[in-house]
Amino acid sequence: MRIPLAASFRALLRPGVAFNTTPPPLGQAVWAMARVWIPLALVNTAWTVRRAIEAYDSLRGGRMSSDLLGWLGTDPAELHDLLASLPPPPAFGRIWPWLFLLVPLSILGTWFHHAVWDHTGLWLMGGLREKRGFRVSLLAEAEALRIAAVGTLLGLLGFVPVLGVVLALPLLVLDVYLWLFRGFALAARHGCEPWRGMAATVVHAFLLGCFALAVVALMLFMVRVAA
Amino acid sequence: MNRVPWVALGTLMAALGVWLVGLLQPVSQWLPGCAFKRLTGFACATCGLTRCAMALGRWEWGKAFHWHPAAAAFAALLPFLVLWDLRRAWRRDPYPPLPDSLAARLSVWVLLIAVWALQAARGI
Repeated sequence: MRIPLAASFRALLRPGVAFNTTPPPLGQAVWAMARVWIPLALVNTAWTVRRAIEAYDSLRGGRMSSDLLGWLGTDPAELHDLLASLPPPPAFGRIWPWLFLLVPLSILGTWFHHAVWDHTGLWLMGGLREKRGFRVSLLAEAEALRIAAVGTLLGLLGFVPVLGVVLALPLLVLDVYLWLFRGFALAARHGCEPWRGMAATVVHAFLLGCFALAVVALMLFMVRVAA
Repeated sequence: MNRVPWVALGTLMAALGVWLVGLLQPVSQWLPGCAFKRLTGFACATCGLTRCAMALGRWEWGKAFHWHPAAAAFAALLPFLVLWDLRRAWRRDPYPPLPDSLAARLSVWVLLIAVWALQAARGI
């Protein structure tokens, strides 16, 4: 029996040899990434939006944990007044058609963003000595993200009541691994040592993580605990 | 591909993002702040960037420069970069490769660390 995404799981288990094959053309690699990732991301995003609407509604209704407010260092009464004055959320039925446009655009944007930052990180780590250019980074990212889309599938488990809480830490560890995994693809396609590829993704994470990701991660966390 | 001004398009998207971040001003006091600073007590290399972006979104360059001098200076240089990119795309020139120079790489590392030290020393 053929297991869906079996090749991706095998690649994740043996990252050192996952990219030893002849590189495909860039267009083919991007199409393969989109074909795997977009359906999974659509399901994940639809579920996230639905939960976000529920969470927003509960925030407006003042059902937010006072412990969480204390942890955020805010004045609960002031925040409650602000949240109560917010407009009601739109219905999910009005939002979901837009996801068919926004999710593919976000995926292409993520792919390009990762390529730019990882390429810069790889340069900072001295991994571009072969001078294979940015196009090779675009290809490596497309190949790695097609495999890492497995994480989007497993991430759906995080929405399951109780199980989601139990799996929060393992899924976080998986996210970290999938982030570093791109480094193997970069190293293989640019012909440098794997540690330089992984370090490039760490440089990217460090610069990004200190800014936008911390804000987004906390907002997502709030959405999950508030729903 | 050489005809596409990727840098100019990226700058346009970034400008849109900065404008959207500027809209966060009324709720800025409830934004969570830097996780690194919360854990360690020290500013990170990008501390002040959100406030800088919010100031830029309101076209307050003085405040933007106060919150993150390097980012505000970079933002001020972006129009020149966009013009260069549009000219490059018009002439169908390829993007130049990043310099294969240890000195250039070290300079960027030093710049990043210097910005970090500056933000930490100012207690941003």
